[in-house]
Amino acid sequence: MLTTIAQAVVNGLLIGGIYALVSIGVTLIFGVVKIVNFAQGEFVMIGMYISFFLAANFGIDPLLSLVISMPVLFVIGVLLQHFLLRRVLALGDMPQIFLTFAMSLLLVNVALLLFTANYRTVQTPYSETAIHFGTLFVPMAKLIAFAVAMVLSGLLWVFLHATDLGKAMRAAAQNRDVAMLMGINPDRVFCVAVGVALALAGAAGSLLMPFYPAYPLVGQVFVLMAFVAVVLGTLGNVTGALIASLMMGVAESLGIQFVGADSGLIVVFAMLLLTLALRPNGLFGGWSR
Amino acid sequence: MAMTRSSTFAKRHGRRDFLKKSAGAVALATFGIAREAFATEPVNIGGLYPVTGSFAQIGQGCVNAAKLAVQMINDAGGIKSLGGAKLNLIVSDVQSDTTVTRTETDRLISGYKLSAIHGCFASALTLIASEVAERAKMPLLTGSSSDQLNKDRHYTFTPFSRASQFALAQLQMSKLVSDTPKVAVIFENTAFGTSTSNGLREQAPGQGVEIVMFEPYSAGLTDAGPLINKVKASGANMLFPVSYLNDLILIIRAIKQNGLEIAINGGSGGFVIPDFYKNVGSVAEGLLGVAHWNHDVNTDAQKVNEVYKQQYGEFLFEYAGGLVAQTFMIADALERAASTDPEKVRDALSTLDVSSGYAAMGPGGKVKFGPDGKNIYAHPVGVQWQHADLAAVFPKDDARAPLIKI
Repeated sequence: MLTTIAQAVVNGLLIGGIYALVSIGVTLIFGVVKIVNFAQGEFVMIGMYISFFLAANFGIDPLLSLVISMPVLFVIGVLLQHFLLRRVLALGDMPQIFLTFAMSLLLVNVALLLFTANYRTVQTPYSETAIHFGTLFVPMAKLIAFAVAMVLSGLLWVFLHATDLGKAMRAAAQNRDVAMLMGINPDRVFCVAVGVALALAGAAGSLLMPFYPAYPLVGQVFVLMAFVAVVLGTLGNVTGALIASLMMGVAESLGIQFVGADSGLIVVFAMLLLTLALRPNGLFGGWSR
Repeated sequence: MAMTRSSTFAKRHGRRDFLKKSAGAVALATFGIAREAFATEPVNIGGLYPVTGSFAQIGQGCVNAAKLAVQMINDAGGIKSLGGAKLNLIVSDVQSDTTVTRTETDRLISGYKLSAIHGCFASALTLIASEVAERAKMPLLTGSSSDQLNKDRHYTFTPFSRASQFALAQLQMSKLVSDTPKVAVIFENTAFGTSTSNGLREQAPGQGVEIVMFEPYSAGLTDAGPLINKVKASGANMLFPVSYLNDLILIIRAIKQNGLEIAINGGSGGFVIPDFYKNVGSVAEGLLGVAHWNHDVNTDAQKVNEVYKQQYGEFLFEYAGGLVAQTFMIADALERAASTDPEKVRDALSTLDVSSGYAAMGPGGKVKFGPDGKNIYAHPVGVQWQHADLAAVFPKDDARAPLIKI
């Protein structure tokens, strides 16, 4: 019994790491640019296809293709902010929602057209192996994904707190006008923020590829969990999104184990509703400083 | 093989052939219309398959097989009783969508002078197409397994085993693996998952199979780890996942990752297509499944498989192979009906009785339809993934390779 519980917690933490990469991207864009990006999942999908095609055509390991998918998605993010998101910043919520939602639909359908609805998987030597800790099994591919996700989250934290650009980003998020008075160029800062958020989505895609199939709708599987994590961990709070993602992974896993395999999400949403009722601003009110 | 069969038909129907031709001559003389093309006008048959949308991959394979079958029939001289008329396959994309299936079936029937239809792979789509075909009095052959297709229908023919037979075979096969099978059934919480799993649960006691876990899960898993952890805790020695391809891939991988040693019977559908192996790789070796057709069941099936493999680079899978047989059943009916009239083709199908040739190349090797449109000889065949290929291993009469114990 104890093994079963421990295994359920381990499984939950591991998938929570992936939720974290997606939700940190969403919360970063919201925190800095104040836009909810409904297309974040589709950028995970793009990351997966980049890794898939690099693996299928050039035999590049999906984990190595991180160094390609992240910069590519970063550039896409910068262009996205510069040419599209920037235009709707002053227009209020509705145009912003429509823009990112339309982008999500567009990307899914373009992917269907280009890549078809087929499932694509990559076989790696570690796709099916596991490390044993006594009676516990820790799947290799997921452990690597989790570890890299945590390292990337840590690097992001350092970036936001220890670099000028990171500090400028937080400043622009707090008060755009004052930041401008201090000589910060908000357009540049926003471009970097969206770029970083998309690079994280790309990383999530590459990290998923060794153990999850790619298909055009794959982003929607993860983006739902990401949005719950973002709300649970307080909108705009990077550390909050990370912790909430891990909590949700564990809650889902324990829910499947002890409530029912079709009730994992019920436990997660119960947690969300309870949090909203007791702490309307999420578990970690305020922007992480 | 095809040649000998065709020539016997030519002989058997010589008289009807003669009558038909002389009748044609009389008609021509009476009305004074010179129609040289009369005897060789092609016979239109419709094929309804999803070549876009979520079932696209299997649908495309079906279309390839249907084209191959038509080519085989035409190369062997077409329909002799119709003066060597060639078959003309008209394919329509039903887009994996029920609404589109309805309009496309309508469009096909009203737009072309069809003699028969086959389709649509997915049961949900076939049920709709069959309703439309019934109303239009158009014979429809299908490999879809839904038992619903045999209720109150006169123009629908199902040459292969039914869903209820699949469940039974799956339970019986668990005895191959263990004398005391303890089965865990995990199924997606959809119509497909619930009905299939209920069939398993109802028939399990009668087969002496104990079900130790019966668990619905939300289709579209993000992670199969927790679910497999639960299977592990149940103490089962055999797993029946009722899932589509995406979830299956995750489940099979999670079993390996969690070090679970368990026999698996994945049923049919997405489990018995080349794409499954492509996605899962060598982990698929030894896994069991159930199919209404397999490419090794007899020499005719093997022959078609070789041709298909040469053209498309992968083995002829369950549904596509059954479809080749169906096309030959239609040809047989056309031959005997000596008419392209759908009503007469239906009557000829209802008296179809074949035990050799490509039309009969399924498990059991015979086709004869009962009043409900069911082939009375049909039964499923148990298969196992062996060396990147599917081998028939159950029941004994259909087994073409020994079961590999893992």
